Amino acid sequence: MAEQGAADPGNNNNNNKPEDSEGTIIKVTVKTPKDKEEIAIAEDASVTQFKEEISKRFKAKQDQLVLIFAGKILKDGDSLSQHGIKDGLTVHLVIKTAHKYVSDGASTSASSSTSTQAGSSSTSSPAANPTSTSAPSGSAPPSTQTPNLLTGFGDLAGLAGLGMGSANFMELQQQMQRQLMSNPEMLSQIMENPLVQNMMSNPDLMRQMIVANPQMQQLMERNPEISHMLNNPELMRQTMELARNPAMMQEMMRNQDRALSNLESIPGGYNALRRMYTDIQEPMFSAAREQFGSNPFSALGGNSESGAQPSRTENREPLPNPWGPPNSSTSSESGTGTTGSTSTTGSTNPSVSNPLGINPGSLGNGMFNSPGMQSLLQQISENPQLMQNMLSAPYMRSMMQSLAQNPELASQNPASSPSSTGTNAAQQQLMQQMLQMFAGGGGGGSTQTPEMRFQTQLDQLSAMGFINREANLQALIATGGDINAAIERLLGSQPS
Amino acid sequence: MDQSGPYPVKLYIYDVSRGMARALSFQMIGKHLEGIWHTAIVVHGKEYFFGGAGIGSCPPAGTVLGEPDSIVDLGSTEVNEEILREYLKSLSESTFSGDKYNLLEHNCNSFSSDVAHFLTDKKIPSYITELPSDVLSTPFGQALRPFLDSMSISPGGNSVTGHR
Repeated sequence: MAEQGAADPGNNNNNNKPEDSEGTIIKVTVKTPKDKEEIAIAEDASVTQFKEEISKRFKAKQDQLVLIFAGKILKDGDSLSQHGIKDGLTVHLVIKTAHKYVSDGASTSASSSTSTQAGSSSTSSPAANPTSTSAPSGSAPPSTQTPNLLTGFGDLAGLAGLGMGSANFMELQQQMQRQLMSNPEMLSQIMENPLVQNMMSNPDLMRQMIVANPQMQQLMERNPEISHMLNNPELMRQTMELARNPAMMQEMMRNQDRALSNLESIPGGYNALRRMYTDIQEPMFSAAREQFGSNPFSALGGNSESGAQPSRTENREPLPNPWGPPNSSTSSESGTGTTGSTSTTGSTNPSVSNPLGINPGSLGNGMFNSPGMQSLLQQISENPQLMQNMLSAPYMRSMMQSLAQNPELASQNPASSPSSTGTNAAQQQLMQQMLQMFAGGGGGGSTQTPEMRFQTQLDQLSAMGFINREANLQALIATGGDINAAIERLLGSQPS
Repeated sequence: MDQSGPYPVKLYIYDVSRGMARALSFQMIGKHLEGIWHTAIVVHGKEYFFGGAGIGSCPPAGTVLGEPDSIVDLGSTEVNEEILREYLKSLSESTFSGDKYNLLEHNCNSFSSDVAHFLTDKKIPSYITELPSDVLSTPFGQALRPFLDSMSISPGGNSVTGHR
């Protein structure tokens, strides 16, 4: 047996081993997430032998290897043929990173798979996560030792008694964190825990923990304002309040989002905002992302630069919303303002309004030759955010609603009549609806026709002297009801 | 959670376009698409998927996409959570890190396909993996390609990368 394993590892050829293997040598592909290798092994070999070979090839210890085939874990005592492993098949390999599997006892965190061991007690990125430290068990030792947490542990024999069996507290924290993040009920449960609440209400402790995180330190160097914020106990407390209540946090984020979208309208304000956020927000997020392993704000649906600032930055007074309908897709407004004329058939040069240089005429069948579609394409191409909005479900729903109102329209657009003027009107209307949806970010799923919604604006426009009602309506739809922008559109897009 | 014994593995399929593709795709791109598919693997009571932010996890049906359009049963696996986590961690460092996301070529469905194979040796339905090539085979798809390349779908959730 041993000779088989000791055979020349580079020897992949069919070698008739005279000894115990009666079967032929088969070549099995062993695939790790990063790598894959072909290993030659006897057909009737055992898993242990297989692992020997593998450990040589992958330079890992045998007990670190976990082999998976067809959804089953190959145990050492099994044989390859037992699992049906034949020539040319692929077996998955997971190399455990120096951890021994330890079954944990009952603990509130329900981390069923903690598998950490003393030994490599790496103090890598001590997670300054407020929730996980005292969560594991309400017992005293962890909480009193919280400052020590940040320095890492060597021998944690004492903790084994807690039932966690995990020696490297840092790792434990990380895993807990992950589990917590993915299980909101657990999170709220833990928040209820008075121990946690006590800890959270101690701003000094919080600050200490946060500061100890090397990524935060980096961030703080770059942005001294952050360290300033951390030193302000009032702010800390507020933050912790928020952290305790995730719903409130989201609410606050959204408010700030909307406020930001309003700020865009101030000349110069937009740029200042943008600057501020790229300075503060991005590094903060990359730090937060690496540390917490999550981008909790991505769920807010693709709000780009204004997407959720951390609550620690300065509060902004929400300004009155001049745009009317609730509009949380900020960038689309800037997008719609700039789309000028509609049809420019045949223009292929990438221009500011048509960055992809899409030649609508060449796009084949469909509704491409209709001006509405072209403007849609232009809008989309110059503003990827629209596309993003398009793909995020909440907006889709309202689009579907409006489409459902006009099922005839949807069916009236046969692909076979691309430029027939007969259906142009119907197409136009559909396009208008789509544009409206995009520009308005799906609004509130309103079921009124655009005409009804913009009645007042239409009247105003005609009072001003814009008698082309059709064009007015289009402009209003494209700008989401904003009269000034609509006027610009009308003035800017003289029919050619 | 039990430590051993087979765990059922399911594939959750979401239509990101919420039916819009089914209604409009033929007119828009000249080809009928049943949906724009985003998939995720659900096992051990968690949903795992790959998006612009890397590998993510959340409670099943817990992203903004809500409930899946369809669920495919992939069988069951003996791989427990710990091993899966290790596996995902390696993946997130190599082939499925966030920056490797490409909407057309290396997307959530590639991830689901890989993980499904890892867990149960089964493949995910081909209509899902063929979607990008379906779209690219139309002129519309070709024209929008540079634009699609820069996009990504990130349904939220929490990243599994976990810093050690």
